[in-house]
Amino acid sequence: MNAMVPSGHPGPTSVGRLAASRRQILRGALVGTSALAAGRLLTACGGSSASAQVDAGAKASLKGKTISLLVNQPHVIAFKDVLAKQFEKEFGGTLKVTAAPYDQLTSKQILDVQSGAGQFDVFDYFYFGLGSLVAADALVDLTAWIKSQSDIDTGDFLRSIWDPYTLYDGKRYGLPFDGDTHILFYNAKVFDTYKLDPPKTWDDYDAAVEKITKDSHGKVYGAVIEGQQVPMILGCTFINRLAGYGGSLVDSDGKPDLNTDEAVQALTGLINVSKYALPTPLQIGFDQANSAFLSGQGAMIDTWTDMALKASDPSMSKVVDAWDAVPLPVGGSNTKPRTALDAGFGLGVSAGSQQQVEAAEFVKWATSKANNLAVASKAGTGIDPARTSVLNDAAYKKSLPRAYDTIRTGLVGDPLAWPAGPDDPAGLQAMCDEIALAIQGKKSAEQALSDATDQWRKGASG
Amino acid sequence: MTVAETTGAQRRPALAQGSTSGRRRVRRSSPRVPFLFAVPSIAGLLLLMVYPTVYLLGLAFTESNLALPLQRWTGLTNFTDALQSTAFPGSISRSVVFAAASTVLVVVTGTALALLLRARGDRLGVLGVLLLLPLVTPPVMVGVAWKLMLAPVGGAFTGIWSHVGLDGFNPLGSSTGAFLTLLLIYTWQWMPLVTILVFAALLDVPRDLVEAAQLDGAGRIAVFHHVVWPSIRTTVWAALLLALVLGFKVFDLVVVVTSGGPGFSTMLSSFFIYRTGLQNSYEIGVASAATVIFVAVVSAVMAIVGIARKRAVAEA
Repeated sequence: MNAMVPSGHPGPTSVGRLAASRRQILRGALVGTSALAAGRLLTACGGSSASAQVDAGAKASLKGKTISLLVNQPHVIAFKDVLAKQFEKEFGGTLKVTAAPYDQLTSKQILDVQSGAGQFDVFDYFYFGLGSLVAADALVDLTAWIKSQSDIDTGDFLRSIWDPYTLYDGKRYGLPFDGDTHILFYNAKVFDTYKLDPPKTWDDYDAAVEKITKDSHGKVYGAVIEGQQVPMILGCTFINRLAGYGGSLVDSDGKPDLNTDEAVQALTGLINVSKYALPTPLQIGFDQANSAFLSGQGAMIDTWTDMALKASDPSMSKVVDAWDAVPLPVGGSNTKPRTALDAGFGLGVSAGSQQQVEAAEFVKWATSKANNLAVASKAGTGIDPARTSVLNDAAYKKSLPRAYDTIRTGLVGDPLAWPAGPDDPAGLQAMCDEIALAIQGKKSAEQALSDATDQWRKGASG
Repeated sequence: MTVAETTGAQRRPALAQGSTSGRRRVRRSSPRVPFLFAVPSIAGLLLLMVYPTVYLLGLAFTESNLALPLQRWTGLTNFTDALQSTAFPGSISRSVVFAAASTVLVVVTGTALALLLRARGDRLGVLGVLLLLPLVTPPVMVGVAWKLMLAPVGGAFTGIWSHVGLDGFNPLGSSTGAFLTLLLIYTWQWMPLVTILVFAALLDVPRDLVEAAQLDGAGRIAVFHHVVWPSIRTTVWAALLLALVLGFKVFDLVVVVTSGGPGFSTMLSSFFIYRTGLQNSYEIGVASAATVIFVAVVSAVMAIVGIARKRAVAEA
């Protein structure tokens, strides 16, 4: 060992001491850091704070205030171009709008509160993520406050969305902002060319898709099917068909149940029609789907009602004079058209906000009739009516005359609401994964739906 | 004479005489100085590595979600949940195949390109710089660009597919097509890294040796085999290890180009972990357990490749 010690280097005794000392320090630091982490683990274990609430009757002025919002990315225009300008005009205040992609929205909202950052006052939340947000103590309980505010006019919110968007476990956590439903858009010129009537049943739809694609030799595809493997896209596509067949996502006890004839019929139809749709459904998301319909390459698309505004806008659409819309088709033994509450948003107050009363006042202001009308009537905002008065308003009707009756029928009817418990987003993802495997031909419809039900009930991951 | 002066004066003679007390002072103080200088780095490492690792293990062995981490001890439940899930076991083997295939592609094409560039001269030139562009493009932008080019509606390749009679062809539409497309995009992106490393190594290959071999009648393959390869072998192996690590880490491309689909065809472990922890289910506990398992698999593969590299370099 001595031979290995370079000249001028401390001798063996010293090296030994130094090494021991270094080891001790390193070991100490390692233990200390581990203890710090372990301490964090122990203190965190079982820790859970009670949810905050805004008291009944609490009032605050929005004059000159700055409100920070975390919103769904497609809603940016609604907040920045419409509400921010109006907020500044009315109150001289500022809206700081941060957008998150739809697939990261809920996790960012949870993390903002859980991390203690508290960067935002108001959350633009998915209604089917409500359970996850409440379980995370990320939203403030507004039950008492909403009851005490006579100027909110809660009776004006559409009955079909009022409870699903705001109520969880007996408490209200927000106000409805975007009453999202799907309807079926079609290209009337293409239908005229191939002598077809707009479909009333899913069988009609399937036949029309096959005929258009085959007869046009791929020049026009009979339908654009949005199949990207996330609840917001493939989930909507399947649930539209499930609603049309008269099915539901849960049984009479509220437990997930896709082992039903309606679900099998819906999925079987989806599998069969996929091969005639714009290639390839499992890789088609919003942007590609919208482009295909607006460019005239797809003859039908079931999507959000704000497509009516896009399709009517010559700067976005090549089918301005050609498009029309009908309610989602029916199927099986069901004869009553029924849409689904696909996505849909409420505005709630972040539990991390330092100005929760002001944030609640903002939520009330942003969901008022005047502002809901302003955002729902403007192309590109991605916002649909959340209030009956807006749905019945002449200005809204004028903004999309061709689709108005269809939209109204869907929203005032009995749309299929998605479950919103803490485990349901995972269950919906499992459902999408299994449906994708069925569309790929790797599982039968029955097997995929059975597996999806099992995973959903188990609260399974991936 | 002050106390300080006295002490200093006494210390110097003591050192010179090699007294025990003097030696002790020197040996205690001077060797520690460099170590003390390293303390900030060590502290940083401990905070950035040990703390997160312990926390990760804590999450893996407890009931944890994004909202409420570390709820209660659950033993191996998260591990069994991950291994019994539909997507995770397949994602591990897919990740290993992806990492191995991409490493081979990146290293072979990168080395070949470096040899071609070196044959042109000792500078990369404009062509070389252009070839390196994918490396400096953010991975998300690479994904977005390819996604747009491959889009079945209005994509840059739409016309090409039509021209060759493949109307409506979407390479991302089938399981095999999506996996291979991802592999090719990845290779296109990271091949330049290997090119740079190997090109730099090629600049150090002694010219006189090459010329001597050529004078002795050695052909191109013989020169490469006997002269060039021994000089660049260490670099190529290092590049291979680097490429393997990068291949296991690939995430951005999957998110942007395929989102793990269609089905689970491109569901690599990194994407599974992200999706489980931060998308839809927020099951951080299961995601952490999956991370631990994935790290074990990556470590095993890296160890095997590391041993192979050691032997190959030692045989040189």
